[in-house]
Amino acid sequence: MSDRHLVRDVLILIGLAVAALAVPALGSEFAVSLALTCLMYIALASSWALFCGRTRYLSLATSAFFGIGAYSGALALQHELGWLSAIAIGAVLATAVAALMGAAVLHLRGTYFAVLTFGMTELIRHAVTYFEKSVTGTVGRVLTVLPERDTIYFTLLALALLAMATSIALRRTRFGLALAGIGADEQRAQTLGVDTRRVKIAGFALTAAFAGAVGAAMSVRWTYIDPPTVFNPFIGFQTVLIALVGGALTLWGPLVAAIVFSLLAETLRLQVPQLYMMSLGLLLILSVLYLPGGLASLRWAMARDAWRALRGAWERRLG
Amino acid sequence: MSLGAWLELLASGLITGGIYALVALGLNLQYGLMRILNIAHGEFLMLGAYFTWMMQTAFGVSPLWMLPASFALLMMLGLAVHWLCFRRLAASSPNLDVFEARGLMVSFGLLFLVQNFISFLWGGELRGYDFMAEPLKLGGAQFAANKLLVFALALLFSAALIVLLRTTLLGKGVRALMQSPVGAQLVGIDTKRLHPLMFGVGLGLSGVAGCLLSMAYTISPAMGEPYTVTALIVITLGGFGSMSGALAGGLLLGVVEALGMHFTNPSLKALLSYAVFIAVLLARPNGLFAK
Amino acid sequence: MRGAPFAARGSGALAETALLEARALSVRFGGLTAVDAVDASFAAGELVGIIGPNGAGKTTLFNAISGVTPPTSGQLLADGRDMRGQGPHRYAAHGIARTFQTPRVFADMTVLTNVEFGMQFAGRRPGAAATAALRTPDTILALIGLAAQSALPAAAITPSQQRLLEIGMALATRPRLLLLDEVAAGLSEAEIEAMARLVRRMRDELGLAVVWIEHAVTTLLRHVERVIVLHQGRKIADATPAEVVRDAQVIEAYLGDEMAQPPP
Repeated sequence: MSDRHLVRDVLILIGLAVAALAVPALGSEFAVSLALTCLMYIALASSWALFCGRTRYLSLATSAFFGIGAYSGALALQHELGWLSAIAIGAVLATAVAALMGAAVLHLRGTYFAVLTFGMTELIRHAVTYFEKSVTGTVGRVLTVLPERDTIYFTLLALALLAMATSIALRRTRFGLALAGIGADEQRAQTLGVDTRRVKIAGFALTAAFAGAVGAAMSVRWTYIDPPTVFNPFIGFQTVLIALVGGALTLWGPLVAAIVFSLLAETLRLQVPQLYMMSLGLLLILSVLYLPGGLASLRWAMARDAWRALRGAWERRLG
Repeated sequence: MSLGAWLELLASGLITGGIYALVALGLNLQYGLMRILNIAHGEFLMLGAYFTWMMQTAFGVSPLWMLPASFALLMMLGLAVHWLCFRRLAASSPNLDVFEARGLMVSFGLLFLVQNFISFLWGGELRGYDFMAEPLKLGGAQFAANKLLVFALALLFSAALIVLLRTTLLGKGVRALMQSPVGAQLVGIDTKRLHPLMFGVGLGLSGVAGCLLSMAYTISPAMGEPYTVTALIVITLGGFGSMSGALAGGLLLGVVEALGMHFTNPSLKALLSYAVFIAVLLARPNGLFAK
Repeated sequence: MRGAPFAARGSGALAETALLEARALSVRFGGLTAVDAVDASFAAGELVGIIGPNGAGKTTLFNAISGVTPPTSGQLLADGRDMRGQGPHRYAAHGIARTFQTPRVFADMTVLTNVEFGMQFAGRRPGAAATAALRTPDTILALIGLAAQSALPAAAITPSQQRLLEIGMALATRPRLLLLDEVAAGLSEAEIEAMARLVRRMRDELGLAVVWIEHAVTTLLRHVERVIVLHQGRKIADATPAEVVRDAQVIEAYLGDEMAQPPP
C-alpha cells in the first residue's frame, strides 16, 4: 500500500475539478454537453476499473445498473422526491441488484462471469421492456420534472471526482489489497485469509452504486426515457472499452481515454454513427491485441525503442 | 388444435432448431477446440445472409449456388480473423483464463465492427428476397417449400459435419484435440494448422446458416445476436465440446421455443431465452450432459 | 494389512484436541482415488514429515486439509470443529497456513507487500500469536533472509528466493500449523540443509506445528520427530523416523517405484 503516487493522483483530481468547474462558466452549450458526457464516462470507467481492473472479473453489466438507476431516479423525481433522493435511490437499487447478481455469479471464473453479466443485462432490459408493455401499455416515459442544467452538471462532476477519489483511497486500504490479491491469484489470497466471495460482491456492488447514481443523474438529460436508451448495452461496452484502452489499473488512464472517446463520440457519432462504432470495435481489438495494459502502460522507453526499431528498419531498407 | 396445426408448429420449431444446431456446431468447434468464445458468431451468420441476398438481388444468382460460396467466403474470413487476431493472442497470453478473457473482448470488437459495417453499407431496414415461397401440403398441414428446404439442408450439413468428424483422419484429430489438447499434440497432431482451419470451418458453417436463413426469412444487420445467444444456450445444454449434443440441443431448443411462443406471449421470447441461458449457466457451467 | 505394527502412535491419542485431524479422509477425482481413507492428526508444536513415492497423494492430502480441494468422504476437524466444505480462508482463520509446491507469489507486488498480505488478513484474527519474529513484515523478512529484497517486485527475485517468500507469506498469517509442500525441491545440498534449519527454527522458536512434505527424504528424516508415509493414496506408516526406515511396507513401496530413492 504505497503512497508513491498519492501526490500525483491528488493533483490530477484537483486539476480535473478546476477544469470541469470552468466549463459551464466559460464554455458554450456544446462544450457543456461534451464535458457532461466526458464526466459521465470518467465516473463509469473509473468505478468499473476499481473493481474489474484489479480483480480481472470483466463485468459487462454496467448498462444494467445505469438503466436501473435511470429508471428509479426518474420515477423518484416524478413522484416529487427531490434530486438528491433520486440519485440515492438509483444508487441503492443498483447496489441491491448487484449484490444479488454478484452472489449468484461471482463464484464463476472470468469468461463465464463476463458472458453471464452480459446475459443478465439483456435479461433485465427485456424484462423491463416486457413489463412496460404489459403493465403500462406504453414503452417509455416522458419526464416532466427536470432540474437545471447546472445541477446535473455539478452532480456528475461530484460523482466523477468521488469515483476517482475512491479509486485513490482504495489503493491504501485492506479492501484494495484484497481486490489486488484476487486479481493476482485468487486461490492464494484465499489461503492467506481473504473471504474472496464477500470481497467480490462488495466490490461489484460498489461499481453498481456509481453506475446507478450516474444513471439517475443522466436520465433527466433525455426528456424521454425508454428501455432501449437507458439499458443500451453500448453504455457498458464503451465503459469497458475506455477502461481497457486507457489502462484499467491506473487512475489517469481511464480519465484520458474518457476525454478522447467523448470527443470522438460527440463529433462522429451524430454524423456517421456506424463508422464511430466500427472504429470503437477496431480500437478494442487493437488494444487487447497490442496494448493489454492500456494506454497507461505506454512508457517513454517503449516509445523510444519503437522509434529506434523503426529507424533501424528504414535504414536497412535504404542500405 | 388440429393435427395439421400441431404438425405446423412442430415443423416450424424443427426448422429454426436446425439453424440453431448449425450455428451451435460452429460455435462449439471454436470453443471446444480453441477456447475462443466467439460472441460475434451471429454476425458472420448475418454476413452470409447479406452476401446471398446481395448476389441474388444484384446478379440474380440462385441462393443454392451461394451455399458453397458463403461457406468458402466465410471460411476465408475465418482464416484471416484467426491469423490476424487469435494467433497473436494465443502467443501473448500468459495463461488460459487470460486468453479466454481477451478472446472474448476481441470478439466483442468484431461484433461491433461487422454489424456496423453492414449497417453502414445497407442501412438498418429489413431486406429479403423471394425464393421457393410456394406452399406445400403434407398430411393436412401447410409448409412453405423454402422452409422445408432450409430444414433439410441444415440437417444435412450438421449430420455431414458430425460424420466427417467421426470418420476422417482430420476429424478424429480434431476430436482428439478437443478431448485432450496435450495428449493430441504429443501424438503429433498439428494445432498450428488445425486451429485456423477449424475456426474457418466454424465461421463457414454460420455463413451457410445465414445463407439458408435468407432463403426463407427477412434479414437485418441486427439479426445475428439472437442466434449467438441461442447457440450459447445450445452448447451449454449439450455440453461444451459435444457435437451431437449441439445437434440434439439445437433441435430441442427450436421446438421448445416454438411451443413456448405459441402458448405464451411471443414478445416473451427474448426474455425467456436469456432466462434459460442464465439458469443453465448457473446450474451447470459444464453443460447439462457433462459428467 | 494397512499400517505397520508401528502405526499406532500417530492417530490422535493425545490429551489435548489436535490442531488438525483427518479421519478416514478420501479424495476421489472421477474414477481415480488420490487419497484413500487416511487418518492423520497433528498436535501443537509437532514436527511431522510426510513422504511417499511420486503419485502417493501427498499434495492432494495437503489440498484437502487446507480447504483447496474438497474431500470426497471422511471427517476433517480443526480444534474439534468440522471443516469439510469450508473454503481456504476459513482454514487460514483457524491458523492453518500452507505453501504451494510451485511458489505462488503475487508477482507484481513487492516482496514486502507479499508478506504484508497475509498479515492484513488471516494474521489479524483475534488470538493470533504475535511472537517477536512475526510481529511485522520486516521481522518476517529478516527471519527468512529476504530483508535486502523487500522493495523488489516478487517476479524479480530468484526461484529459490521465491520459495522463501512463499514461506514468509504463510508465516505472515501467524499460523499455529504450517504445511510445507516440498520446499527443498531442486535445491543444492547446502541449501537443503539451510532450509531444514529454517524449518526447525520455525518449530522451535515460533512454536508452530509444522507438517513437511519432502522428496529429500534423507534430510527430512534427520529433523522430524514423526513420519507419515503415503503410498498410492493410503497411509502405510505413521511412526518415528527410526521405525519407519525399518518398516517392510515402506521399503517395498520405495523399491517398487523406480523413480524414488529408497530411504537409507
